[in-house]
Amino acid sequence: MNINDCQNDPVLAAIAALPTYDVSERHTRRSRSRCHALLQARSRRDTPVVLVSGTPFRRVIGPALVAAWCVAYLVEVIRRAAAFYGL
Amino acid sequence: MDPDGDRSLVVRLRAGDTDAFDEVYDAFRPRLFAFLLRMVRRRTLAEDLLDETWLRLVRHAATLRPDTRIAPWLFTVARNLYWSERRGWLVEDTYAPDLLALWPSPAPWPSPFDLAAASELERRVERALSTLSPQHREVLLLIAREGLTPTDAAAVCGITPEALRQRLSRARAALAQKLDETPAVAVLKRSHAT
Repeated sequence: MNINDCQNDPVLAAIAALPTYDVSERHTRRSRSRCHALLQARSRRDTPVVLVSGTPFRRVIGPALVAAWCVAYLVEVIRRAAAFYGL
Repeated sequence: MDPDGDRSLVVRLRAGDTDAFDEVYDAFRPRLFAFLLRMVRRRTLAEDLLDETWLRLVRHAATLRPDTRIAPWLFTVARNLYWSERRGWLVEDTYAPDLLALWPSPAPWPSPFDLAAASELERRVERALSTLSPQHREVLLLIAREGLTPTDAAAVCGITPEALRQRLSRARAALAQKLDETPAVAVLKRSHAT
């Protein structure tokens, strides 16, 4: 059975000649935008999360040193304030 | 849609390309809707099943196999949704009279007379088609109306190509018999002879 058979057979040709139908414009718009939203959300979700790049120094040691310096600075400020007030 | 076109569309769909979705949507929306409408014969239900078919495509877009062929894939989903829905039905209407009052795509008929005659013929064919069993109706629609190959149609229906050929032959005979019962067959034969 192929397309020629359909054309040669009056019954199948009658089915082939039946009109097609479509949904309303409004329905089409709504359905299309819903699918677009899902498709975009899915592709965003499937995008691999970019890991923090750089060497271990940049990722771990650098922030740790900055944090230690901040703590030392804060301790020194508190110590000097206490000395100023005679505590 | 040729296999190369399918392949490139599938690649773009897998990447979440909305333009690729629009291409598929515009090409298959009327075909799927007409198929579903002729199967379920209820406009609102056909619209719901059509929406669900598109949602399935979107949900599975990322996992489509590269060699997926769009038409058989979509018709398989639509057909399976129909059969899932049908399991819940207790009775089935024989004919939906509002079927022809929808949004037919423009047909290039040559004259108003031909248009009227064709409409009458179409109505009779639609009516005869709607009285067939769903198994017969679906193979006739997939092969004759949608132009699927017997192999693709068999895959859509979940049967072997040989079983599909037998079913198609029986469906064709059943439809011819239904049409013989109406004066339409004379018109049909006359119009085909010319």
